[in-house]
Amino acid sequence: MDRFAAHVDGVLLSLFGEEADALTMLPEMLNTVGEVPGDPAASRLTVAAYPDDPEANAEYATWLRSELEVGRAADRSAVEASLAAVREEPVVLSMGEAEAWLIVLNEARLTLAARLEISEEGWGDDFALEDMEPPMAFLHFLTYLHGELTDVLLEKL
Amino acid sequence: MVVILATVPQTFPRCNTPDSPPASGSILWGMPHLNTAAVLPETIDVPTSDDFPVDDHGWNVIVWNDPVNLMGYVVYVLRKLFGYSEEKATKLMLEVHNDGRSVVNMAPREKAEMDCYALQRHGLWATLGKA
Repeated sequence: MDRFAAHVDGVLLSLFGEEADALTMLPEMLNTVGEVPGDPAASRLTVAAYPDDPEANAEYATWLRSELEVGRAADRSAVEASLAAVREEPVVLSMGEAEAWLIVLNEARLTLAARLEISEEGWGDDFALEDMEPPMAFLHFLTYLHGELTDVLLEKL
Repeated sequence: MVVILATVPQTFPRCNTPDSPPASGSILWGMPHLNTAAVLPETIDVPTSDDFPVDDHGWNVIVWNDPVNLMGYVVYVLRKLFGYSEEKATKLMLEVHNDGRSVVNMAPREKAEMDCYALQRHGLWATLGKA
């Protein structure tokens, strides 16, 4: 079953119940980023725009970091709303909602990868889910979903 | 640029005050106790264009390689945000992948910051640098 499929009005989202259950934790997980000091996900999700200029970076952060947080909160809300609906039947996501899903899935991937200290490419090659710890298996599941949604949205460009 | 102020001319018109005439050296109406030597600098700095940031097209928007973002996703984001063709977006993505970074756009500072914001919103490792 395709979880994401092209639809004339956007993107069709179909999930099994247990998949929707697992994804329900995404917004909550993302909201915890930065709560623990030294959380590597926090630095990954808040990249310094001017890495060699703290003053310019502080100014950038003042103006745009808050925009970033507002946008991310809106994306997470959109995902939560469609997750609640998809438990009953497949849901047609608008293009804006599909974009929110794309961003939230990727933020969750980046968060998990940072906390799993993934720093080298190749982590997604040749894997066996049954041998994995749950966080790594979840990262692969999110990667599968993200790749599928990316392909659908690329077709629609 | 530094400009040397000319010496205040002795013939500078003085304003009459209703009370006593200004003290020697003062030219400020109503403030005869002030001495020009104390309030006027000998030199002043006159700003030139070099003193202000020249907001030209000289800001690079840079995307850096990371082990998590997928190649197809980077292509999608570049096409979506910048309207690039599939060929151009793929070329830039491969620069990121093979060279570790790619300048994906060059723009005036304000526009470059908005581009950087949009890339970061999508989770790409984006920074800014002077061209």
